[in-house]
Formats: sequence, structure tokens, C-alpha cells
Amino acid sequence: MEKVLDARGLKCPMPIFKAKKELETLGPDDVLKVLATDKGSVLDMQGWAKTNKHVSLIKQETTSEEGGRTVYIHYLSRLA
Amino acid sequence: MEGSAEITPRELFERLVTRGESPALLDVRNADEFAAWRIEGRRPLDQLNVPYFAFIDEPEVSAARVAQAGDAWIAVCAKGDSSAFVAGILREHGTDAVNLVGGMQAWGDLHVPVRVAAAGRFELWQVDRYGKGCLSYVVLAGGQAVVVDASRHLDVYETFLRERGAALVRVLDTHVHADHLSGGAELARRAGAPYHVAAGPGFTLGKAVKPLGDGTALRLGGRGGVAIEIGLIAAPGHTPGSTCYLVDGRWLLSGDTLFVNGIGRPDLGGHVEAWGRALFHTLHQGPLSRLPDEVVILPAHFASPAELDGEGVVERRLGDLRATAPELRLPTEAAFVDAMRGAVKSPPEVYQKIIAANLASGSVTEEEASEWELGKNQCAAAVPAAPRG
Repeated sequence: MEKVLDARGLKCPMPIFKAKKELETLGPDDVLKVLATDKGSVLDMQGWAKTNKHVSLIKQETTSEEGGRTVYIHYLSRLA
Repeated sequence: MEGSAEITPRELFERLVTRGESPALLDVRNADEFAAWRIEGRRPLDQLNVPYFAFIDEPEVSAARVAQAGDAWIAVCAKGDSSAFVAGILREHGTDAVNLVGGMQAWGDLHVPVRVAAAGRFELWQVDRYGKGCLSYVVLAGGQAVVVDASRHLDVYETFLRERGAALVRVLDTHVHADHLSGGAELARRAGAPYHVAAGPGFTLGKAVKPLGDGTALRLGGRGGVAIEIGLIAAPGHTPGSTCYLVDGRWLLSGDTLFVNGIGRPDLGGHVEAWGRALFHTLHQGPLSRLPDEVVILPAHFASPAELDGEGVVERRLGDLRATAPELRLPTEAAFVDAMRGAVKSPPEVYQKIIAANLASGSVTEEEASEWELGKNQCAAAVPAAPRG
């Protein structure tokens, strides 16, 4: 199952704060797709996954939505 | 907790620089950002780097770890939101913590004017953008003002001049900057004053400039009998168009050509050989080499707070620099270019974007500008050792 967390427009620490809460509700085979507009989220998600042994950062993507705003997409899963 | 839970960049500057204190700083950015750029004081600072996500994962453990390292903290992050969150957690756990408002972004945008010289109605001010190590200047004489190397934060200069009732009559840049966006053209446009920068051969300048030749002497003031001269000295090397401005025959606004501990790197344009040769000629054969030792260098950057003197000014007698800077003591062009080649290091990628924007006529968005300007300048040549032989 893939669940989407829309953290667009939110400043840090909110994207990671909400992602942690969401991950806690997911099973080990689920994927959490986090949408964020804060560019700082790119490095922060990497740092978070490095230090939290229950979080795995599967991949990161960058897209552009209508209107030109850049969206940073983070795919996370929960490690047992 | 007593008092405010916040500290402004200006208040932090007063503590770190004016009073030379060394408060404990808790930087909650990720480790890479902390390694790349951090707050510096006059004295070495106790800094702890605990990323904010450690406080999301394990608030108790992280707060205890911080409390163990000290009982009063200033929390710092990129923009001031995560550090406010962390400071709140620390206070909940009984540890004194205040938040740096606006984070590193606001720290890098703080400008502090410091007076360098005053005689009658002539004044020379150094505007210290401390977090980035960028310096700009305001020369005041007889109610008229010239601003040199203005940043894009125009309100800093406009407020300063308004408070002194001075009219901006000219805006100058020492060169096309690579590390920060120039506010020169826009500051001049808003005041209806002429703007000058020389890009040099090989560059197309999209901005409206009033060209001035090498050796031109600009006159400032006149009212009330106060008038001073600002002389232009072409100084190609750091960039092909680099220009130094000699104020009243005594203060040299040296741009990125001379710093108080060395010289500007000639490799930012990717032509270390040609620009290095030009720089050697500028330093050893051109008009700069003939200036008296008593001239005081006022550069466009500093690399370390150790370069600030007791008054908080970044300045140095030219004679003292000549006596000590290894780069000025390399005897031949070949040895000099060799040393410059050896010191080449990749500049931050964003410098190409900043150069392009400083050459062009358009403007960049505030969001882009803020992001591009993060971090400390990297404009000095780093020649590690004294020359051989």
C-alpha cells in the first residue's frame, strides 16, 4: 500500500514531524509518499533516515507542479 | 523561564562580536549543513549539533543529552522554525533555551554599519554583513553619499542614508561579484544616481552603467566646504574588470583584489593562467604597487572574525600586508601563477548563477536569491605556505 502525506506549504520541522506519525500507522510493506515544498526537506530526510534505524528512505524525486512550484517527493518505509 | 524566548541576529551579533561573549549554541540543522557553514564569534564557540529530527524521534533522550552538555542554549536552524520547536522542547524539560529568529538565513542577511573614519563632515562606514563575511561601504561628505559594493538588501543603505540626511549621488561596485547578488544597479536606479561597475573584456553587461575610465577622480561633497576625491584604479585579476577605489588618498576600497590577510583568487572565472598573470601585473607593476604603505586597505570580504580589529573594523595598513602576505612576495610572474594554479579549488556551483545574475539586467526572486546566498564567501586565494627560495 502506498499512502500519500501532503506536506506542501509546510515549513520544517513539520514534514518530518508528520511523516513520523504517519509511518507509525503503516505496516512494514507499506510506502509513505511525502510531498513537500520546503527544499530543506531533501537533505533533512536523508539525515533523518541515516540516524533513525526504523526509517528507510527509498528514493527522492523532484517535480514541478502547475504554477511552477517545485515539489520534493520522498518515499519512506518503516523498518522493524 | 524569565525573559524572551528569542534572540535576534542583531542581539546575537552584539553578544558574539561587540562583547566577545561565547554563549553555547545548539545547531539543529543536519550534519552536512552544519559542517558547511556555521555561526562564528570572536572567541571559539561551544557548538553542539543535534539535528531537529532527533528531537522528533526521541525528545526525552535528546533533551537530556543537551542538558548534560550545558544549561543555557541558543538554538539555531536554517530558517528559525525547527530551532523554535527544539527550544520549546528544551524549556519543557527545564533547560534554558532561546531561538535565533530567522535562523542562518537571517544571520547571513544581518548588516551592521561600523564607522571607519570621521573628520569634519566626511565619514567612511564599513557595512559588515558578518555571517557571510561580506563588506560594503558608505562614503559621506558634505551631505552627499557614495555606496560601494551594495548588497541586495537596499533598505540597509536607504535607512542609513535617510537617518543621516545624505543624498545618494553615486553607486559603485568593485567588480562583478560571484558570491552574492549586487544591489548596486537597483539602489542607483531608485535614487536616480549613476551606477558603475566594470565587467571587463569577455563579458557582456546587461545593466545600465555610466562608464568611468581608469584614473578617473570622482568628487564627493562640496557643500559646507567638505569635498573629497574618490580615485578609480583598474585592478584586473580577481576579475578582468576589478576596480579599486581610493578614498581621499588614504582609504583603499580594494574589493576582492586585496584582503587584510591576502589576495582574491583569480580562478573563479576558470582562467587561472590569464587572470593570474593579470593579477600579478596589478599587484606588482600597476598603480596599486605604487601606493604608499600608509594607505589603509578596506576589502569586500573577510574570511574569519579574527580579521576584525578591536573596533570591529576589517582594515589593514597596506605596508603591513606587503610585509607579510606570501602572495605579495612571490618574485616572478611564473612563481605567482604557479601558486595560484596550486590553490585552485572548485567554487560553489551557485557562483555561476550569481555571476550571470549580476551581469544581467533582470532580477531574481527573493526565494532564489536567499537560497543562492546561503553560506560564507569563498573569494580569497588560499595559498598555504610561504614561497620557496
